[in-house]
Amino acid sequence: MNIERSLRIPGLCGMGLHFQMDGFRLVYLVIAVMMWSVSGIFSREYMEHYQNRGRYYWFFWVTFLATAGVFLSADFYTTFIFFEIMSFTSYVWVAFDERAESLKAAETYLAVAVIGGMVMLMGLFLLENLCGTLVFERVGELAERVLAEGSKAHRRQLYVAGGLLLFGFGAKAGCFPLHIWLPKAHPVAPAPASALLSGILTKAGIFGIIIVSCHMFCTDRMWGLLLVCLGLITMFLGALLALFSVNLKRTLACSSVSQIGFILIGIGMSCLLRAAGESGRLAVRGAFLHMVNHSLFKLVLFLCAAAVFMNLHQLELNDIRGFGRKKPLLLFCFLMGALGIGGMPFWSGYVSKTLLHESIVEYGRVARQPVFWQMAEWLFLVSGGMTVAYMLKLFVALFVDRHPVRQAEFEAMSANYMRKENGIALVLAAALFPLLGMTASTSMDLLADLGQGFFGPVETRHLVHYFSFGNLKGGLLSIGIGIGLYLFVVRRWMMGVDGKTDDMGGDLGMCYRELWPSWFDLENLWYRPLLQVVLPGISGAICGFVDRYLVSTVVSVFLAVSSVLCRAMDQMADGAIRLARESTHSQLPRVTDGTREKAGKKSVLSAGKRWMGVEKRQLTEKIFQLEERIRRNGRLVEESFSFGLMLFAIGLCLTLGYLLLGFLRHS
Amino acid sequence: MREILLAVPVLLPIVGGAGMLVLHLKDGRENKDRSLMLLTEGFVLLNSLVIFWLLRYRMGSHLVLFRLFGNLTVRFKLDPMGGVFAGLIAFLWPLAVLYSFEYMKHERRKKMFFAYYVMTYGVTAGIALAGNLVTMYLCYEMLTLVTFPLVLFPMTREAKRASRRYLYYSIGGAAFAFIGLVFVLSFSATGNTDFVPGGVLNLKEAKAWRNILLLVYVLAFFGFGVKAALFPLHGWLPQAAVAPTPVTALLHAVAVVKSGAFAILRFTYFSYGTEFLEGSWAQWGVMAVTLITILFGSTMAVREIHWKRRLAYSTVSNLSYILFGATMMSSLGLAAALSHLVIHAFMKICSFFCAGAVMHQTGKTQVYELDGLGRSMPVTFGCLTVASFSLMGIPLFGGFISKWNLVQAAFACNKNWLPCAGVAVILYSALMTGIYMLTVLVRAYFPRPEEERVVTDLEKKYKDPGGMMLMPLVIFAVVILFWGLHSSSLMRLLTEIGGEAG
Repeated sequence: MNIERSLRIPGLCGMGLHFQMDGFRLVYLVIAVMMWSVSGIFSREYMEHYQNRGRYYWFFWVTFLATAGVFLSADFYTTFIFFEIMSFTSYVWVAFDERAESLKAAETYLAVAVIGGMVMLMGLFLLENLCGTLVFERVGELAERVLAEGSKAHRRQLYVAGGLLLFGFGAKAGCFPLHIWLPKAHPVAPAPASALLSGILTKAGIFGIIIVSCHMFCTDRMWGLLLVCLGLITMFLGALLALFSVNLKRTLACSSVSQIGFILIGIGMSCLLRAAGESGRLAVRGAFLHMVNHSLFKLVLFLCAAAVFMNLHQLELNDIRGFGRKKPLLLFCFLMGALGIGGMPFWSGYVSKTLLHESIVEYGRVARQPVFWQMAEWLFLVSGGMTVAYMLKLFVALFVDRHPVRQAEFEAMSANYMRKENGIALVLAAALFPLLGMTASTSMDLLADLGQGFFGPVETRHLVHYFSFGNLKGGLLSIGIGIGLYLFVVRRWMMGVDGKTDDMGGDLGMCYRELWPSWFDLENLWYRPLLQVVLPGISGAICGFVDRYLVSTVVSVFLAVSSVLCRAMDQMADGAIRLARESTHSQLPRVTDGTREKAGKKSVLSAGKRWMGVEKRQLTEKIFQLEERIRRNGRLVEESFSFGLMLFAIGLCLTLGYLLLGFLRHS
Repeated sequence: MREILLAVPVLLPIVGGAGMLVLHLKDGRENKDRSLMLLTEGFVLLNSLVIFWLLRYRMGSHLVLFRLFGNLTVRFKLDPMGGVFAGLIAFLWPLAVLYSFEYMKHERRKKMFFAYYVMTYGVTAGIALAGNLVTMYLCYEMLTLVTFPLVLFPMTREAKRASRRYLYYSIGGAAFAFIGLVFVLSFSATGNTDFVPGGVLNLKEAKAWRNILLLVYVLAFFGFGVKAALFPLHGWLPQAAVAPTPVTALLHAVAVVKSGAFAILRFTYFSYGTEFLEGSWAQWGVMAVTLITILFGSTMAVREIHWKRRLAYSTVSNLSYILFGATMMSSLGLAAALSHLVIHAFMKICSFFCAGAVMHQTGKTQVYELDGLGRSMPVTFGCLTVASFSLMGIPLFGGFISKWNLVQAAFACNKNWLPCAGVAVILYSALMTGIYMLTVLVRAYFPRPEEERVVTDLEKKYKDPGGMMLMPLVIFAVVILFWGLHSSSLMRLLTEIGGEAG
């Protein structure tokens, strides 16, 4: 069956929109519909007690349309348009409940979105300038030609454009170092919305990265290396943050960062493998399947968190301990999600992780620095292990631990903690994971066949034995590491008896400790000071200085000088006469010698006094008075229209004189 | 002599406005207001209809109204570029007048206000329809004089200072423009200053005087640039925000400042001609100044907390977008500049009118006072949202189209690194626009928790203004969306103009 279609709407939004349908887009459209409908069902109960429900639903569905638009777009222009709409409408989700911390998180989200959007736009401008088109396929062809035989300047422009696009899309995907919005925004957004933010909005960013990587830099080694390095950092860092977190939704958000790292590695490996002449098939299929898997896992896990939050209005692990006990439905859904994301064999996450792992191993064989790739492989396995560890931490906290004080209260909620339709939707979604995982060689391969065409030309399938000993070994090793980490790090180090008591005075016993130093936060340490203090400080100070002083200083100096001059000119005749009267033409009556002597003595005395500084105070007073007078006059002069016109006329005369001079010199 | 109709849109409002000044309306206050309203709206609407009629049926006609002296004539001509500007003001003016009736309801000296408001219409139409540099210069000077009383209108100390400053700057600038006029006249190939696409300079003769002529161009650019708020001559614009909102919105965001930008476009593309200027030091010099203005204006807007002054600084930076397009000296540049001229007019008048509506309903003028108003004045803030997104250059809204065109033109103009730097400057400015417009919206829609601010009972009673103020707002917002979704016909027209003149 041929599902490739394309649709053009010329003229709309300036350059016209261009959509396309293919296997990848079909899969993602289906996932989007599924995710929005499941979380839409969930929202009805979750949102029941909020006032601005109308606003929430409106932005909920507009974001759906925008996201669908992103996934269906066939040129960067269309992608950009829908991407921006998506960013702005989803902002409302984050700011939804209008508490102080939500507003702060929303601010971060908006800042990342706006800056990312602008940077992306700059990349688009450069790309358009280089290629003359923004249609993915054409851009891909042209970029390949530029990389192969273009001049150095063109190649540089292409790399810069690619880098800017990566920045823009990466900001939405949550790639290090722009992951900052995820751990902030998720805990405060309504849980059904977090599921979408993490499950599919980040994937819209990944969609863009795939296009840049697999269409433009398809066989570029450096690009692949860059992506893999970013992916490794993102993967490890996200897992580390998740392990330290003691908040249910924050852990899930950090886990999203980490899983995005896995996907990035897959995309990067496909570039590297193709650059080395291999097919890149494993990497491509792994990245795609992990995208699909992660969307679904996060849907289920966040909705489980929603069920917790709806009842308790709390998310700290210490407060929700034991909530899941005696709630088999919640247990089932959460367990399926946890096992899936942890990469347990026979669950779907295992399949995609195995493919990614295999691709690293495959490249390690042909690469020039096998040691580096061995380390990468270990980092991959350890991060997988950390995934298991933090999911285990959540699982144990929710379903095994007991709340020391409120356990009975929690268990009383077992009957009606979730509406029936929510439960059904959730179970159906959760049941997919083992189903897909167990029939991996049919169902998941089919999905991968549908999707892989989008990642550039890939040869047709040949069977992968997911459950061969070698592959199982990798998966089990990872799980082993995870269990070890949980037992020795989480239980021993991250938990302890702090002797804390709750409001009622009940002993809380073993607690989860917040060990991550609170000052160690990329956003508060670097980004906020840079954006809020340093940049506006510098540029604002310069502009303010220019505005206040540059123009007005020139004007006031000119005014002061000219007013003194004018005054002097005005009084020149008067002054000469007065000077004459006091010196040569003095008309004072003649005095006798004696008195004259006296007077002379007096004047010498007073002069001496003056010199000695006795009358200094008077003098300064006089100076002040003089200054005041000058200033008052100056202001009077400054405000008078005629004076303004006079100044202007002087200026005009000077200019005309200059022009005349030019004329004369020429002729 | 049917061409005499061409002078009607210029003379009708001027004569009508002058007549209104001497008119005595004797009846009671209510009746007086109503008859004033009918009279003003009647004049303006009639004039707009005449302009639209001319645009439809009299494109390309010209008229020499009278001869001043020698080859100095007052000449009107309707060409596509003037038509775009004329059409723009003809669309905006009746709506702005409608808005001002409600806004000015409780003010005194309304007669004077509306008389000058109507006269300004005629003068601006004169700039749009001017057929040669002399006519345009004449109207340009008149524009200063008829708008001066409008800035002075509140008669406060602040207003007096602002209007005086406005007068200095404008008259001073016009004098420099006059130098340009003299030089164009003496170097003109046709012996007069008529606007011809591609310029009128006698290139052979001009070559010998190249540097002097370029200097004169820079002087005239700054001279006309005073009205277009070019740095460092922008000072009057933020200060003039003391004037009533209909004045700041229509005059200081559209008519006056756009007249400055339009005059520069005319002077560059129709008098000097791009062939003479392209690649010269004068081009890069003025382009650098426009870029500095963009940076400066958008940064100052972020610093400013008085809402209308913030919008005024935003105007400063956006006008230089137009001038940036103008200084590219290419057909694409002209088309892009005109597109920003048109689209910016809608979004800026819309944002100013929203600010005015808030001032009128609540008396709030500072950005930090706007908490929660988004909910009590939904329509006003809905329109403001559209205008803000458009100013930022978000896709779907008009502003994106014009910015996109500008950037395309900048990349096409690749003889120097400056246009490319200009792209970075535009993006920086878009980011700053995001900050200064979004902070307003965020405040309005997501107020701080009530504990942190004082909420009076009065606060809860605010509501949208009446229909006469809302209708223009909604229309402008719809037009912005329309340009965002469907701009191809506009761009086709503008590209034609650009192709002819560039």
